[in-house]
Amino acid sequence: MAFLKLVNLEQRAGDKFLLRNINLEIEKGELFVIIGPTGSGKTTLLRLIDLLDHPYSGDIYIDGLNITSVKGDRIDLRRKMAIVFQKPVVFNGTVFENIAYPLKMRGIRSREIAPRVKSLLDTIGLSGYGKRKARTLSGGEAQRVALARAVIADPELLLLDEPTANLDPHSVKLIEELVIKFNKSRGVTVVMATHDMHQGQRLAGRAGVLMQGELVQVGSPASIFQSPDSARVAGFVGMQNVYRGRIVANESGLARVQIDGSVIDVVSELEVGKAVDVFVRPEDIVLSLSGSISSARNNLKGVITAIHITGPLSMVIVDCGIVLEVLVTIKSVEEMGLRMGLNIFCSFKAAAVKVLPVK
Amino acid sequence: MKNFKQFAFLAVTILMLMSVFAGCTPAGQATDNKSAQAQSYATRFKIATTTSLNDTGLWDYLKPVFEKKFSTALDVVAAGTGAALDYGKRGDVDAVTVHDPAAEAQFISDGYGINKRSFAFNYFIVVGPAADPAGIKGLSPEDAFKKIYAGGMADATKVKFVSRGDNSGTYAKEKLIWQAAGFTYTTVEKSGKWYVEAGKGMGPSLVMASEQGAYILTDVSTFLAYGSKLNLVPVVESGQIFLNVYDAIAINPAKVATAKMLPMANNFINWLISDDVQNLIATYGVDKYGKPLFNPMKGGGCKDPGCPKVEDYTVPVK
Amino acid sequence: MQELWEGLVQAVKLVVSLDPEVIEISVRSLYVSAAAILIAAAICIPVGGLINFHDFRGKRVLINVIQTFYSLPTVVVGLFVFLFISRAGPLGGMNLLFTPGAIIVGQVILIMPILTGMTISALSGVDRSIRDTALGAGASQSQAIWTIIREARFAVVGAVILGFGRAISEVGAAMMLGGNIRGYTRVLTTAISLYTQEGELVLSLALGIILIGIATVISVVVNILLQRY
Repeated sequence: MAFLKLVNLEQRAGDKFLLRNINLEIEKGELFVIIGPTGSGKTTLLRLIDLLDHPYSGDIYIDGLNITSVKGDRIDLRRKMAIVFQKPVVFNGTVFENIAYPLKMRGIRSREIAPRVKSLLDTIGLSGYGKRKARTLSGGEAQRVALARAVIADPELLLLDEPTANLDPHSVKLIEELVIKFNKSRGVTVVMATHDMHQGQRLAGRAGVLMQGELVQVGSPASIFQSPDSARVAGFVGMQNVYRGRIVANESGLARVQIDGSVIDVVSELEVGKAVDVFVRPEDIVLSLSGSISSARNNLKGVITAIHITGPLSMVIVDCGIVLEVLVTIKSVEEMGLRMGLNIFCSFKAAAVKVLPVK
Repeated sequence: MKNFKQFAFLAVTILMLMSVFAGCTPAGQATDNKSAQAQSYATRFKIATTTSLNDTGLWDYLKPVFEKKFSTALDVVAAGTGAALDYGKRGDVDAVTVHDPAAEAQFISDGYGINKRSFAFNYFIVVGPAADPAGIKGLSPEDAFKKIYAGGMADATKVKFVSRGDNSGTYAKEKLIWQAAGFTYTTVEKSGKWYVEAGKGMGPSLVMASEQGAYILTDVSTFLAYGSKLNLVPVVESGQIFLNVYDAIAINPAKVATAKMLPMANNFINWLISDDVQNLIATYGVDKYGKPLFNPMKGGGCKDPGCPKVEDYTVPVK
Repeated sequence: MQELWEGLVQAVKLVVSLDPEVIEISVRSLYVSAAAILIAAAICIPVGGLINFHDFRGKRVLINVIQTFYSLPTVVVGLFVFLFISRAGPLGGMNLLFTPGAIIVGQVILIMPILTGMTISALSGVDRSIRDTALGAGASQSQAIWTIIREARFAVVGAVILGFGRAISEVGAAMMLGGNIRGYTRVLTTAISLYTQEGELVLSLALGIILIGIATVISVVVNILLQRY
């Protein structure tokens, strides 16, 4: 039986759907990441699970107990969980008091609290910060305190709502390490929301993509990244080259798709006439000056319209009738003498094209 | 949140200390402040009094004597006679000391009051600016009022009259004098700016009259007690109508169910007419003003028509 | 001018020499208003916390109503409490009228709206995330409310000081309910009112100086405490 189970969960604000038709099962000890763009409903979902808000309809089960049907303060249920918000929230008090807060709320004696806080301070790398005013901490430090406060009472379920969204890269790394550590060493089930696909890849055992209030894809981060099962997921996970077209021919699995004036070869079982979304990962496209023969089924001739340099890689924009974004190394740019206006060939395999029927 | 606890603790402690300090000090303080002992008695007996008895300091003078004798705190609420009688009707006090014979008679015949005894008397006087702008010096009370009215109507900047206007015994007496002088009071009341209704106790009204250079009807005791603060001199001092008798009345538990201290009220009244207290009244103010502020009933000094009968100030109540 | 100056000098002398009557009245004023504010705070801060914490239909209206009662006239409070605690009234059996307790009751009622309202506005200044964090950290509702109050403690203490100031400086309820009984229910304001009417201006001034002094000292002390903690 799943530890956390969401069934037909729905939330509204007035007439507007915030979440709809959410069905999800998470096993005990999992580190599950909810990926979605800002405003997709991640926070709404975590708040429902944490019993901070009431759902419009649907049910949430924890350990088989339908917690949405429990009346009253539900403090026993809430105490099984802990949450960390995007904005680091600390109470106006010392670091020690902040971390000790959940234990105090549970009526645990000061004598037992002190060593637990101290050990957690060591874990989060803030040894000796106990007496500091929490409000004087940096954002990253405050978020680590918030994380320590979340785990000190040994929750069974840790909810993290984009805890690293506003932090510097170093703090992001520290927080991520801590989350993994708590998940592993304490066996706490973690549900973490993020809009950062790469963070999802780094952390998650499984991930779910939340878009416009709907859970559109659930699976391993790699599978989502590699084969998004809809155009919008593809767009979100970094698929730049997404096009809508129509299958104009199909010979035992090797199909042709017409996109505006261009035609590309793809691998698909879909019948002729079907509207499809196709996408090609920028790193799967090869540029060549001559357009020499290769095994790639697709060789499109175009002209370079822009080159964006990002770190060691460059994104080269090529207009071949359809506009393709191609990822190449800076070195290649230099060696091939790529520049705006240059005529160039873009090659990619039919198998590298992902084809999804339009729903 | 330890700091805040400390803070809250401190704040509460300070408030508590203030409270304890406040609660204890009056009881523990040296007896030089006699009124301050009040809180050390377990039982409290409340009376309402006409302001003149309070403003003259008579109650401050007599109160500790009563409290010591009966081991009971005496709470004196000063109000005009009308208000004092009203507190009695509501049962908020258990006895009243007042000076309005007509209102008292009504109060008793309505059943609210019983066991009335007279314990002191003095006279009203009319006081005013030394220049005597209305020219009333030496006139009878009635003639003086007529001239004040005429003067006030003629020039309200020169002749003014301050009235208590507060349902007090003095106010009742003033209305009585206007009537005796041939006026309908309601016409006097609304006749012009010269007639000022203060709505205050005797002492404050005197201060107001002094500030305005106005005439005012006052009991002689309060005037003597306030004399040094006032720019007023007695202008009309004699007339039968000026007689002012102070009575103590117990509240009748049979009528006012909430009045529960009739025995103590009886003690109080009998104590007031006792020789000891009558002697105290006879000497009160002599050291300060050269003559007593009130005349005791004891010894039959009150001879005017309208003075109470002998048994009304000699026979103890039961 | 001369009178005012000489009065001031003598008044200061009375204060400095710890005149027993002046001290006694001042201490009583402090005691009565401190009791009133403690009782009112014990009621209003949690109530304000509850109102702030919960979202319910009519919350806005309720807060508006509370705010309109900020300027409740003291004499009207005095009148209503009088009618209630007079022995002929519904609470007459408590024998409260003309006791310090009566003044306390009057002052509590007088300052309840302002203390509740100011508590609510103090707490509404606390970010909603504090509430969620407290609940998320396993606080019960009342613990969460208390946490929010602690977050807003400076503003709440400010409200308490304001309430204390209103209590100790009001004269209507104290006069009507206490009866200004010397040595028992005479407080600074009723004494000042009486003594001014009686022309005892020096004594009035002395008491006035103390009244201002108390108000000043309390806000200074509280400010120091607030800065330290």
